[in-house]
Amino acid sequence: MDVNDKTLKALTTALNFREMRQELISSNVANANTPGYKAKKMDFEEALARALDVDGQMQMNVSDGRHHTVGNGGFNNLEPEIYDNPNGVVTENGNTVDVEAEMATMAENKLMYDALVQLINKKMGIMKYAINSEK
Amino acid sequence: MDLLSSLRISSSGLAAQRKRMEAHSSNIANAQTTRTAEGGPYRRKEVVFGSEPARESFSEILEGELAENAQTVHATEVVHSDKVIFKHDPSHPDANAEGYVAMPDINPMVEMANMIEAQRAYESNVTAINTTKQMAMKTLEIGR
Amino acid sequence: MSIKDISGFQRTLGNADAKGWSQKVDNDFGGFKIETPGVGESGKAKSFGEFLQDSLGKVNDMQHEANTAMEKLASGESQNLHETLMAVEKADISFRTMNQVRTKVLDAYREIMKMQI
Repeated sequence: MDVNDKTLKALTTALNFREMRQELISSNVANANTPGYKAKKMDFEEALARALDVDGQMQMNVSDGRHHTVGNGGFNNLEPEIYDNPNGVVTENGNTVDVEAEMATMAENKLMYDALVQLINKKMGIMKYAINSEK
Repeated sequence: MDLLSSLRISSSGLAAQRKRMEAHSSNIANAQTTRTAEGGPYRRKEVVFGSEPARESFSEILEGELAENAQTVHATEVVHSDKVIFKHDPSHPDANAEGYVAMPDINPMVEMANMIEAQRAYESNVTAINTTKQMAMKTLEIGR
Repeated sequence: MSIKDISGFQRTLGNADAKGWSQKVDNDFGGFKIETPGVGESGKAKSFGEFLQDSLGKVNDMQHEANTAMEKLASGESQNLHETLMAVEKADISFRTMNQVRTKVLDAYREIMKMQI
């Protein structure tokens, strides 16, 4: 168990992305009545799954040995996908925000954020326990 | 930090909805006002919202990954409606020669609906702020 | 309780005898192998060292499973929050248990080394 291990990096990266998602949701909610505003959605799960390659199922061709292949844990350059929510219902002033859907997404995001923090704590906890065990 | 930016965005939403409430409650209160400082009946007020990128400086926009996708909202202008309806009421002190009074075109039902909407939008922004704040507090728990 | 009933007890106790039970299970379930501690790969009695190594391997496997579960949760591949937390908790407990065993083994070793020959 290494302080730099892949899982810990994955958890931290997921935390960062969920923070960004919260900001996007706040923006959608605040602009729920702004004319012409289009609700935005953010996806990071695919990019993270590719970087993790948990099952060893994904393959990627690399032209240079120094390039990151799949699953190498190249977490620093992950880009989320931000796009207009295609499920938005357009009101007559051009706004596509569905406040209830944003609330639901926000609740799920918060729950997963809490779960990730707890998992990080558990991992750190076991490391600290191992360090602290005497004799 | 993204969470601080979230707080700024949500509080801009709160401010905008509050201005909207002010406008519509002013409309309701002045539904029968025929004399104003500018002369003529009260004119119905409505706020128009506009959004702009949340990051304040351009360098922040370039660095932040959300770029201009996260927007704060502002009540950019207050629009005064010029519509006036004429009621026939010869006994009114402000009646004109034919006995018609110029009254503001305010429908209380519409104003109430707008106020309820503004209240709900305000509440959803408050929920967003609370969630953001809880996420920040949870972050502080890492390693405890 | 009259003396007559003890024979029933004796039969029950006979069935509960470990050796007899494991033989019965092997016979009854055919190909289903139950891992009986004390029998190693070579068929001879397993040493404590081998037993410990197996256990360490299992603890390590559980850690890997927990890591995999966490990665799947973070990347959204799995929606099972409870399964992930269970896997993490299992790894946690098994690690702590193994640590305690390690402490006890070390204590026993020191105790033995202290003995005057």
